[in-house]
Amino acid sequence: MADLNIKSAHSNSYGAIVIGSGMSGGYAAKDLCEKGVKTLVLERGRSVVHNRDYPTTNMMPWEFKHRGEMPEDIRRENPIASRCYAFKEDAAHFFVKDREHPYIQEKPFDWIRGYQTGGKSLMWARQVQRWSDLDFEGPARDGFAVDWPVRYKDLAPWYSKVEQFVGVAGFRDGIPHLPDGEFLPGIELTAAETHFKSVVEAKYKNRHVISGRCAHITGNREYYAKQGRTICQQRVMCQRGCPFGGYFSANSATLPWAARTGNLTLRNDSVVHSIIYDEKQQKATGVRVIDAHSKEMTEYYAPLIFVNASALNTNLILLNSTSPRFPDGLGNDSGLLGKYISFHNYRGRVTAEYDGLKDLTTFGRRPTSGYMPRFRNLHKQETDFLRGYAAGVHGVRPVEMNYDGVGEQLVTNLMNPSYGPWQVSSHMMGECIPREHDQVTLDRDKIDEWGMPTLRVNVGYDDNDEKMIRDYQQQLAEMFDAAGFINIQPQDDHRNPGLDIHEMGGVRMGHDPRTSLLNKHNQLHACKNVYVTDGACMTSTGTQNPSLTYMVFAARAVDHALSQTG
Amino acid sequence: MDRRSLLKQMLLAAGGLAVLPVSEFTQARVLAAYDELQITPAQQLLLKKLVDTLIPPTSINGEILRGAAELDVHDFVLVMANDCLASADQKKFSAGLQLFDDFPAANGKPRFSELDRADSERVLGAIWGHSNPQDEAVQALQYFLTTTKWYTIQGYLNSEYVMTELMPYQLVPGPVFDGDRKIDPEATVNIHG
Repeated sequence: MADLNIKSAHSNSYGAIVIGSGMSGGYAAKDLCEKGVKTLVLERGRSVVHNRDYPTTNMMPWEFKHRGEMPEDIRRENPIASRCYAFKEDAAHFFVKDREHPYIQEKPFDWIRGYQTGGKSLMWARQVQRWSDLDFEGPARDGFAVDWPVRYKDLAPWYSKVEQFVGVAGFRDGIPHLPDGEFLPGIELTAAETHFKSVVEAKYKNRHVISGRCAHITGNREYYAKQGRTICQQRVMCQRGCPFGGYFSANSATLPWAARTGNLTLRNDSVVHSIIYDEKQQKATGVRVIDAHSKEMTEYYAPLIFVNASALNTNLILLNSTSPRFPDGLGNDSGLLGKYISFHNYRGRVTAEYDGLKDLTTFGRRPTSGYMPRFRNLHKQETDFLRGYAAGVHGVRPVEMNYDGVGEQLVTNLMNPSYGPWQVSSHMMGECIPREHDQVTLDRDKIDEWGMPTLRVNVGYDDNDEKMIRDYQQQLAEMFDAAGFINIQPQDDHRNPGLDIHEMGGVRMGHDPRTSLLNKHNQLHACKNVYVTDGACMTSTGTQNPSLTYMVFAARAVDHALSQTG
Repeated sequence: MDRRSLLKQMLLAAGGLAVLPVSEFTQARVLAAYDELQITPAQQLLLKKLVDTLIPPTSINGEILRGAAELDVHDFVLVMANDCLASADQKKFSAGLQLFDDFPAANGKPRFSELDRADSERVLGAIWGHSNPQDEAVQALQYFLTTTKWYTIQGYLNSEYVMTELMPYQLVPGPVFDGDRKIDPEATVNIHG
C-alpha cells in the first residue's frame, strides 16, 4: 500500500499548481511554464480551445435565430446572467447559468461567471489602464482598509512586461495618475469626443479625455505572430472568441504559449475542493480536486500553489481549506479571510445629444471608447465622499430611421436613413471602499452537487457610493453643458453590486499578518508557498478595470516564487 | 386552467368583434416550431400576407426591391413572438392574431386574407386609428399589429438580402474606423456600414 501511495503521489506531482485558467491564472501558468516549471492548471469548467470552440465567431447577423436577442424563457430562468450586457445569443454559452451554480445573496449581488478554459478572459471588456500611486496610497492617505504593501514603482516593470505580451493599443497621454505604458498604436476618438476633450481640458485643470487603452493588437505584427495572433480586424465581436487573437484572452495567448513549452498540463472539469496543508512541513502540499462529472476526489501535489480561481471562488477555496492549524480557512490567522470584499460602482450614467459637427460622422467599429481618468480628490480631499471615479465617454453619430407608414411608403422610409444628432453618453466607474461587513462566508448546510459549501455573499453600496453617484452626475452634466451638449439626462440604473464584474478582495494584501492575508509578494503570510494573484488579493479597488493589474501581480509573484526556490 | 381556455375566455370577454375562429384554433394542427403560440398553417399564411402588406416588393430608383414575405420574414416574426415575448405579451399577440383576419368583417368587408393590397393597408390604418383604443380587443389587435411591424422591420433590415445587396455589412475585416468622416450628402446612408 505504501508503495502505491508513493506512486500515486508521484504521478500526480507537479512543480506548481495553478487553480484557475482565466486572466491571472493563465498568466501565472505562462510564466511558470516558460521558466521550466511543470505546471498543472486546474479549470473547473469545460474545455474551450482557441479557434476550435468559438461556435458563433464567424456567424453573420442574420444567421442568429433571434438576431442576437435571448429567448424569454432563458432570460426568465437566468435573471442574474441576463443582466450582463454580453449575455446575448452570440456569447451566452460562455456564461454560467443561474441554476447551474447557485449562491446565497444576503443582499442583491449579481455574480457573473465564466466556467471554462480562459474563464472570463474570453468575454471581458478589454480595458487596461494602469494603476498609479494615487490608487496604491489611497487607503493610507484616506484612512480606510490597510496600507498597500506595494507602490507603483514595484509594479511598473511588470506592467511593461505584461502589456507587451498582451498587446495594448493606446496613446502616451502623459497623465501622472494614469501612467503611460508599452503601447501599440492608439485608436482615435470620435469627432464629438475630441470636441468634448478640447472643452474639458481647456476649462478644468487635471481633467483629461483620452482614448481608453485596450488589449488589442494594432501593431508589432511579427512579435504577436509568435503567439499565433495578429492585428485586430475591428470586427468588435470579441465576446464570441476571436479567430485572429486580435484581443487578448488566456485562450488565445497565455495558455497556448504555456502549452508550447511542453510544461503545461491543463485539466478541465476539475473543481478544487481545498488546498492540502501539511502540519509537519508547515506548508501547503497540494490540492484536492473533485471531478466535475464523476464527482470523484483526487489529490494533486506541488511545492508551489497559485490561487487564481476568480475573486470570490478564491475566497471560497481558501475558506474551505481547513486543517487543525487553520480551522477557519487557509492562512486565516487574522480572521479577515472573506472580509473587505468590494467592487466598482457603475450605477451612474449621463446621456446627451450634440447638434454640432453636422458635417461629420463616424465610420466603422472600434474596440474602445473615450475615457476620463479620475479627477476628484486627486491631491487632497475636496468632496464630502472619499476617493473618486473614472468615466467612460462615448460620442457617436447614429443613423436615424423613419419607421412611419406601411407598404411602399415604409420601404422608401427604411431605405433612406439620415444622420441624427450626435449621441453622447458616459458611465461611471467609481472606487468603492472595502468594509469589513462586506464579506463572503460559507454555508456548510447547503452543499452543492460537487460537495462544496455554498457561498453566502453579503456586499452592498454605502453612503459614500450614493454621494459619489450624485457628484458624478453633476460633474458630467456640467461638463456636457460646457461642451454645448443638450438634452442632458443623468441616470442611476440602481444595478446590483457585482454586475460591474470587478468584484475584489477578501484575501487582501498588507504589511501586517494581523490585518491582512497576503504579503507584498502575494504570498499568504501564514503559508508562504501559496500565492493569490487574482481579484481576491486587492486591498482597495481603484477606478481602473482591474484585469491588467491582476496579471501584473501574477507575473511578479511567479518571479518571486521562483527566486525563492532557486 | 390551461392557456387555450384562458385565451378563449379572454377573447369572449373582449366581445365586440363577432366571429372568433375558435374551431380553427382548437382543431387544426399547429406548427411545431411555434409551440408556445400554437400557430396553425392558416395563421402562418395570414401573417405572410400581413408581412407582405407591411413591406411589399417596392420599386425604388428603377430597381425592384424584394419584399419581406419573399424573404420569409413572417417566419422570423413568429420565431420572435414564440421565443422572445413574455407569456402575457404572447397572449395579447395571439389574441390579436385571432381577431385580425375578421376585423374588416365588422364593417361588412371580406376577411383581411381576401383583400387586395390597397384595402389591406387601409385595414392596418383602421386598427391603429381605431376610435375605441380602450377596448380590450382593439388593444390586442393593436399590440399584435405593432409587434408584427417591429419584428418585420427587424427581420427585413437584418436579412441576408438587405445586409448583402442593399446595405452591405462587412464581418471581417471590420471597416477601418474613422471617428470624424466627412458626410457625403449625396451618398445613401448604410445602416450596416
